[in-house]
Amino acid sequence: MVQVHEKTVKKADPPEDRVKGMVVYPMAIVARQFVKSLWRPSTILYPFGERLENEDFRKTVKVESGAPIGVGEIWDNYRGVHGLNIKTCISCNLCAFSCPDTCIEMVNTDAGGGKTKKCPEIDYGKCSFCGFCSDACPEGCLTMTPGYTITTNDRAHMVYSPQRLFEVYKAKLSQNPTRIALPENEDVILLDQDLCIGCNACARDCPTKCITMIDIPKPESKPGEKLPKRIWKEPTVNDPECVRCGTCISVCPRECLYWGARK
Amino acid sequence: MVETLYSVAHTLVVLLLGLLGPLVPGSGAYGPFLAVWLSYLVVGALVFAVSLVNVLVFIWWERKLLGRFMDRRGAMHVGYAGLLQNLADGLKLFRKQPFSPREADDLGYYFGPTAYLVISIAILGFLPISFGFSGGAVPLSLLVALALFSFAPLFIFIASWSSNNKYSLIGGMRTAAQLVAYEIPLLLSVVAVVALTGSFDLNVIVGDQAANGWFAVPLILGLIIFFIAMLAEVERIPFDLPEAEAELVEGWSTEYGGMLFAFTMLGDYVRALIGSYLIVLLFLGGWSMPWGLSSFPLSGIVFFQLKTYAVFAIFIWVRASLPRVRTDQLLQIGWKRMLPLAMVNIIWALALVVWGYPVIHWPAL
Repeated sequence: MVQVHEKTVKKADPPEDRVKGMVVYPMAIVARQFVKSLWRPSTILYPFGERLENEDFRKTVKVESGAPIGVGEIWDNYRGVHGLNIKTCISCNLCAFSCPDTCIEMVNTDAGGGKTKKCPEIDYGKCSFCGFCSDACPEGCLTMTPGYTITTNDRAHMVYSPQRLFEVYKAKLSQNPTRIALPENEDVILLDQDLCIGCNACARDCPTKCITMIDIPKPESKPGEKLPKRIWKEPTVNDPECVRCGTCISVCPRECLYWGARK
Repeated sequence: MVETLYSVAHTLVVLLLGLLGPLVPGSGAYGPFLAVWLSYLVVGALVFAVSLVNVLVFIWWERKLLGRFMDRRGAMHVGYAGLLQNLADGLKLFRKQPFSPREADDLGYYFGPTAYLVISIAILGFLPISFGFSGGAVPLSLLVALALFSFAPLFIFIASWSSNNKYSLIGGMRTAAQLVAYEIPLLLSVVAVVALTGSFDLNVIVGDQAANGWFAVPLILGLIIFFIAMLAEVERIPFDLPEAEAELVEGWSTEYGGMLFAFTMLGDYVRALIGSYLIVLLFLGGWSMPWGLSSFPLSGIVFFQLKTYAVFAIFIWVRASLPRVRTDQLLQIGWKRMLPLAMVNIIWALALVVWGYPVIHWPAL
């Protein structure tokens, strides 16, 4: 017998006698279950889950966490609704990139001061709550909270705009650990210098502004040879600040940036 | 002697005809004839209504109690605490198209469940739910009820045979074997009750229990036998071999859908209702209660229904607890255990009579 916990061990086996073992014993168990179900709620039904927000009701079902969106007796590292800190989001697109269900879309969001930026919008109709997005988020601004009250009658209501995710964040729920630490020999962004035209697109779009364009010397043109038509600058990546979002690679018009092993 | 439901209906109908009769010239000649048949109609409609309402309550009761037994809630969204859920299910079945399988024998296919339901409801006409409150207060009401009760295997077998389906046929065969086997201990345990009362009239049987105490006390063995036999007769778990879902898809009602399925289901529950009624009438004192509790107007009906629901709760409790027996175990229990015990019960009842149990209605020996 596998000893799961002490109760399993203490429980007596059903009696060998046929009438006692096959009639009296099961009927007694069922009767005990029935009596239990009279004073202990067997389940908290969904529409009444909202009652968890009621302080008095919470005392009756022993909910300890003071979370406002239907957080019951669940673990702190439960992967529920996402919380998004719009202020620290750098629009790196890594969450949308890592999402296996393609439920994250980067949408224009009011960033304050009349500016807009791209922030994730999550469709919980598609989300599988795998947590890859919050693992990937380099700034720790997209986290998963223990909130689970997502269900509605309207499918469109399942799409959480960045503002709604920000409200979840502001509720100060317990948050999951943020980004997994990068390995030591993480791939870095390398440059094929022959292809680069120095267009500044990578530096312009880098969310962390870790790319700077530095001047390179214009070579002497040999007789009979035509110099390539380009700006004599090339990008340099400040590696400690790079979050490996790959934006630079995707915006490069000449495909001269690529992932490669650190040299 | 006994003021039956029929006489009440007859009085009302005669009053109605007396009011309406002068409006129709020349209707006076048909007055008595009309009164009789209209009274039968009224009584039939009342019995039908009572049985249907009781079946609805039974199914609701079963769903709620089974839910509690299984650590859930049962029906709860339609109506207060799910009371109207069965009505909704019935409406859904009612709206469905009647159909029969291509290879089925249509006559038997439609006749079987309909007759099964009709014969089941007909029994209720003979079971009083309060003193004299039955469709027909015949002196042999118990005998008539039990005779009609044993008609069911015939119609079930007709239905299963004409469905032209292996599962249906096996279910029908099992039903026949089971119901015939358990008919015997059922009737033999009734014999003990009759021995203590000397009458087949259910009103008299209940009256004796009101005077001498419930038969559940002296005939506890008979009550247990009657209960187990009744479980088998109404095909409930653990004796639901005729519709063993794991082996036969739905047993003898496999091929039925829509309203015909509703008929089979309704018939099952009407029979369960009759079983509970009979247990209450024969052993638990019917509508009589100690300390004069049932002396208030209509309180007899209330107590009778409460006892019925309590008995059905035990049916449900057994259903929630016990596994289904095998065919050989079923017949062994029936023939090797129940039959000798029923005999012992009869001897015990006769011994009680000999030792001076106050039997009121025995004819002079």
